[in-house]
Amino acid sequence: MAADGAGIGAKRAWETMRAGAWIGWQVEANWADPFLFLVFAIAKPLSTTLILYLMAKVVSGGAVTPAAFHQLFIGNTFFLYVTEVLIGISWAVFRDREDYETMKYIYVAPIRFLHYLLGRGLTKVATASIGIAFALSFGALVLGVPLRHDPATLAKLLGVTVAGLIGVMWLGVSLAGISLVVARHSITLNEGLSGVFYLLCGAVFPIDVLPSFAQRIALVLPFTYWLELLRRVLTGESYSEILRRVDDMTLGAILVATTIATMIGGYLWFSWCERTARARGLIDWKSNY
Amino acid sequence: MSREPRTFAEVLRMNLGAVTARASVRIVAAFRERSWLIGETVFPFLSMSTFVLVYRGLHAPPAFEAFAVLGGAMIAYWNNVLWSMASQFFWEKEQGQLQLYLITPVSRMSILLGMALGGMLATTTRALVILAAGLWLFHVPFPLDRVPGALGLFLLTLGALYGLGMILSSVFLLWGREAWNTVTLFQEPVYLASGFYFPVRALGTLVASVAGLIPITLGLDGIRQIFYGDAARGFLPLAWIVPIQAALLVVYLFLAHRALLTMENLGKREGRLTIRGG
Repeated sequence: MAADGAGIGAKRAWETMRAGAWIGWQVEANWADPFLFLVFAIAKPLSTTLILYLMAKVVSGGAVTPAAFHQLFIGNTFFLYVTEVLIGISWAVFRDREDYETMKYIYVAPIRFLHYLLGRGLTKVATASIGIAFALSFGALVLGVPLRHDPATLAKLLGVTVAGLIGVMWLGVSLAGISLVVARHSITLNEGLSGVFYLLCGAVFPIDVLPSFAQRIALVLPFTYWLELLRRVLTGESYSEILRRVDDMTLGAILVATTIATMIGGYLWFSWCERTARARGLIDWKSNY
Repeated sequence: MSREPRTFAEVLRMNLGAVTARASVRIVAAFRERSWLIGETVFPFLSMSTFVLVYRGLHAPPAFEAFAVLGGAMIAYWNNVLWSMASQFFWEKEQGQLQLYLITPVSRMSILLGMALGGMLATTTRALVILAAGLWLFHVPFPLDRVPGALGLFLLTLGALYGLGMILSSVFLLWGREAWNTVTLFQEPVYLASGFYFPVRALGTLVASVAGLIPITLGLDGIRQIFYGDAARGFLPLAWIVPIQAALLVVYLFLAHRALLTMENLGKREGRLTIRGG
């Protein structure tokens, strides 16, 4: 009986996530024809890739080793997941609450808002994946970045990417929790947080060049280990002298542990924010500037 | 019953009043919301720091770190032009404010000018914080005796840049809901095209020439040349940049005026000036 209940609950959760993902896709993509949407999806990763390429290859000239560019290219490309998913999930709260004014209807429906949000996050994963796939192809084919692509590497890449993405999604849920209890103009803080992570997790430079206090923060961020593992999987090389001492298995274990901690922390934090928002009557809040 | 102002002095006073009023709103708003203050200073500073550290990680000469600091400060203006000039009329329409502008007896250019001046002043406080923090924290070379020359070119660049912003505000209004996504589309690609973090010469003559239509491209190129001379790896000689920027200023202000009239007429004809969400 209890198992049936759990089964129905899981089915309802999955259907809610699927519906959330579909709505998210409509919101993200229905304003443009497929070609324009593709341009939109690849513009950002392509631009940042080229900025870094020009900084590394042309500006610094002979002082740069190609390996250094390969490493920052991979870090920058995969960091797009963090930017898109973190901001995307928390922004969905503001859009639904204040622009479309649909959040209150989701709350009166027999579904959990959390499952709907995870669905919205999946859409952002999908749209970011388009940009990342294009940037990786561009890097490999045009910029000559040697990326391993044998079946074993691809399997590892999938595993590491999914493990990291779960952490990113739940961190996005945590930010969405904050969005539930703040006005819409506070989105700049959520957006800025991805910039903080970009700086501190060594996405485009080895964490060795950070001041020592910042290195300590970098070493508690899951993204630091995630990007290091992705670099090792795709190039076989380590980027940071500090992390070079840690073997792949240990890095993987740290990534899994930090991901689980992010999931638990994210769930508890979001639940608390959700209760607070309902208690304060913020579910249909319209801050209007 | 009041009469309509007729003399030139009256019209001028009324339009100057509109400029001041619109600029005041912008300045007050820029300092009212603390989260915006943080979002517009701390986070761009962190972003700029990332690119300085990229150069440091690549063992590039210190002058390159200075390029990133200057570019990081100038990004504040481009973002202000995009989010608070180009898309502004669209937001105003969504909030029902645009129609109020259109029924007032002042020139629409006065409202745009007020928006631009207020935006410039408010953004300058952010840019100065980013610049000062970058110089202080990363110890990049910054010859203070060359500031006056750079300031002249900087002001000319701002004039042309906000002129472009005035044109975009009309164009974005006609794009409707796509405006939001278009603004996003104009961010990173322009960071690339304008060489915010590297000398624009690296893009090649053709691409850099086209990118020169965005005033910040040549403005930044010239400012770097004033500060760092040959080490700036300038794209065009400094003597060319000043007249080009002056020409862009004049052309963009003229085009902004034309675009505003076209937007208003088209909007009225199609009945779109009061429609929200479209």
